Amino acid sequence: MILPLAVVVVILAVVLAGWAALWAIRDKAVVLNQLWGATVVEAALLVQLVVAIAASARGPGPVEHGTFWGYAVASLLILPLAGAWAFAERTRWSSVVLLVAAVTVAFMQWRMLQTWGIS
Amino acid sequence: MTEPIGTHGSRDSAPAPADGPAAGASVPTGHGVPSTSSGPGRVLVAVYGVFALAATARAGFQIATKLSEAPLAYLLSALSAVVYVAATFALARGGRLARRVAWTACSVELVGVLAVGTLSVLSPQDFPQATVWSVFGQGYGYVPLVLPVLGLLWLRRTRPVPEQVTSP
Repeated sequence: MILPLAVVVVILAVVLAGWAALWAIRDKAVVLNQLWGATVVEAALLVQLVVAIAASARGPGPVEHGTFWGYAVASLLILPLAGAWAFAERTRWSSVVLLVAAVTVAFMQWRMLQTWGIS
Repeated sequence: MTEPIGTHGSRDSAPAPADGPAAGASVPTGHGVPSTSSGPGRVLVAVYGVFALAATARAGFQIATKLSEAPLAYLLSALSAVVYVAATFALARGGRLARRVAWTACSVELVGVLAVGTLSVLSPQDFPQATVWSVFGQGYGYVPLVLPVLGLLWLRRTRPVPEQVTSP
């Protein structure tokens, strides 16, 4: 778990959430570029997970073990599910789902920081 | 409303067609029972899914590791987890039986969040460990308080209309 990377994840997720919110307000469905954005966030989450695994193999690892790994794994599932729904739901509501998903990912990353013992 | 996802980017996103059903309108499933999982319902299912996941993980962890510390709070956590999982699947599935399950789950959830919320404010010593419903779901941005209300409103809005069932 690296603090700067966590900050990057949270910022990217919040930007994605803002983008999705804009689309929801404009009554538009999720577009492919937003899914590329979600892929970038997902990649950052994966890097963070790999870093966390490497760090806990060498050092003390997270303070709250169970909770941290729970968040680490669960946060990876959120965006792919929202992305899949973007194909099924071609209305503004897919944008609201992406908004919810991105906010959830940002919140989970913040909780991962807490349970790792950084903030 | 069935515009496929664009390959060109944001500029090409199609505006909602004027002839489609209004966003938020229920979509028939073919059996006279409106779908509860499309349109705004999809957002409900998504948020319920997140809470089902969170509550299940939290309750499982609490009960497995420290049930004796606060049995009441942790068993309430488990109850909330069951309710969220039931609501998620029932809303996602739709249909008559699922609607009844969803009604029950949302009602139990509303009663639960109001009861636990009130008790945790009046006698905090009985709720030393936080649950999803403590202080009306304060720890989760009061979403647990709003969610059952939205769920019940959505079920009301998508309730089957008898005339539609009998019409040819």
